[in-house]
Amino acid sequence: MQTKRIKTDVLCIGGGIAGLMAAIRAAEMGADVVVAEKGNVLYSGCGRMGNDHFETYIPEIHGPQRDAWIDELLRTAKGEILIGKDLLRTQFTKAYDIVKLWNRWGIPMKYKGRWEFAGHSFPGRPMTHIKYEGRFQKKILADEARKRGAKIINRVMMLDLVCRNNRVIGAVGVHTREDKLLVFEAKAVLLGTGKCSRLYPPLTPGWLFNDAHGGTQSGDGRAMAYRAGAELQNLEMPQRHIGPKYMARFGQATWIGVVKDQAGQPAGTFVSKPDRRYGDMLCEVNKLAPEQYTRSGKGPLYMDCTDITKRDLKYMHHWMQNEGYPSMLNHMEANGIDFRKHPIEFATYPLRGGGLIVANDRAETTLKGLYSAGDESFGDISAAAVFGYVGGENAAKFAGQAKQVAIGRQNKVVGRIQYLVDGIRGRASGPDWQETGVALQQTMADYVGKVRNESLLKQGLQHLRRISEKARKTITAANPHEVTRCLEVLNMLEIGELTFLAAMNRKETRGLHVRPDYPFTDPTLNQAQVIRRAKGKNVLQWKPY
Amino acid sequence: MPPVINPEKCIKCNQCAEICSEDVFYGSQKGEVPTVTYPRECVHFNGCVAICPVPGAIRLRIPLPMQLVYWDADEAV
Repeated sequence: MQTKRIKTDVLCIGGGIAGLMAAIRAAEMGADVVVAEKGNVLYSGCGRMGNDHFETYIPEIHGPQRDAWIDELLRTAKGEILIGKDLLRTQFTKAYDIVKLWNRWGIPMKYKGRWEFAGHSFPGRPMTHIKYEGRFQKKILADEARKRGAKIINRVMMLDLVCRNNRVIGAVGVHTREDKLLVFEAKAVLLGTGKCSRLYPPLTPGWLFNDAHGGTQSGDGRAMAYRAGAELQNLEMPQRHIGPKYMARFGQATWIGVVKDQAGQPAGTFVSKPDRRYGDMLCEVNKLAPEQYTRSGKGPLYMDCTDITKRDLKYMHHWMQNEGYPSMLNHMEANGIDFRKHPIEFATYPLRGGGLIVANDRAETTLKGLYSAGDESFGDISAAAVFGYVGGENAAKFAGQAKQVAIGRQNKVVGRIQYLVDGIRGRASGPDWQETGVALQQTMADYVGKVRNESLLKQGLQHLRRISEKARKTITAANPHEVTRCLEVLNMLEIGELTFLAAMNRKETRGLHVRPDYPFTDPTLNQAQVIRRAKGKNVLQWKPY
Repeated sequence: MPPVINPEKCIKCNQCAEICSEDVFYGSQKGEVPTVTYPRECVHFNGCVAICPVPGAIRLRIPLPMQLVYWDADEAV
């Protein structure tokens, strides 16, 4: 396989919001910057089709008591905190500056010349999110990165970090369209990769890419961080989202409606009529509502916008165009589905892998020279933008005083990837990535799914390890595209195994980690469970947030 | 299968294939009508439709399993 070598000061892995913001800032600081993106930066990551809400604190609107405002967020919309409060403080100290920067770069952050606060907030409580037109944000951010001299390389799946003396010195990836290995020698690396969203079965059985995250988010970042020795956190704490059934989409706060049953009875108490300032917060505080309604015999539940005014309907349409809903709106128009006539069923979406790569408020991971920002550490658009920017700045500073280290041809990471890819490409027959992915997803759902106990977890882990071992030896691909998909599944199998280990060790019930063998929440475990690999073994530890 | 290209209208610029992060058009070449090689990997986010310079040259067909569920009080059950 052909090998291409690239030298840079800062390598940003993943060209989503965090990766591009990091590239912009690092390049501004004078660093040579390369962005390695698995797809195409114009339409990659969670923000690819836009966003319409940006969480920010604005002193002249919210008043000078920022920490009191953060406390209010924690009490209400944010729910149980699974990250450090210092991260939130950094986010809300810097978010407004990012808002102003984006506005200057041409992302319209104002509506009709003013900060428009709406959605994601409770009636009568402080507003937290401004509306903005993010539809073209990826192109604008990519242009800003290029303007500052950052180089963007599309179609490369990064697979492993290379370390020396506990410091990251580069990374290795494969091209997704050519039989080509890419070796990056970098003084600092920032992971702006996506979540591990294909670990569990999707909303639509058999339709593996019906996912609001998009299809490329397979936990590559956390897999490579773990293999290099960085800490991961709370893998056992899964997440669930809510949205239209059966078209998986985020952006429930963009809907101006009331969650009701078929007879028109509201399910919650927050709103009784569609209100453009406040969506129905039931969707945020109880994402399980549709599933609970159905199970209790009261389902289905609908997002009912039938009472919306014409003016608010136009307003909602505008923001839906910015929040990744164009294909749904086209589908509705083509099928005569009308917001003012038809309540649209909402569903609790399936489990998705939880956890993150541990990073502090400087976006530093536990490995020297490695930074992490965005969905893999602290997501939502505002946090991705802030910590991408912060991480880019700190990575550039680190690179400014670090030495470039050569990665030799005999490097064992390079050798491992070469061997892995040659194996996948060289086999005449065997399971493909889809077959392997289904085996992974069913095992995750059945054994470390909605309900877990020691016996299930032990059995599931045994089975998953057998599947994983077989897959590593037999998985096949017909071309570089399919090789990429295979490598994604192999990463997810590894993350799946860690999820089992972490779930076994959290001997309590908390959030969506439901263990009837330990039915109560243990207050002493109100801590992050950290997992890392050291000397070939998994080390689990509890650390305060 | 999604997306659907109208070969009469397509100007073979290959932009849809270039921007698709899932690479459902894998193997397509500039100067030829793109091939939808991996339709099952489409996430139906409309990027290809948005970037296409010719109205109607490409559209998304929403697959049957992904159709919205909605209540029509006027429809007899």
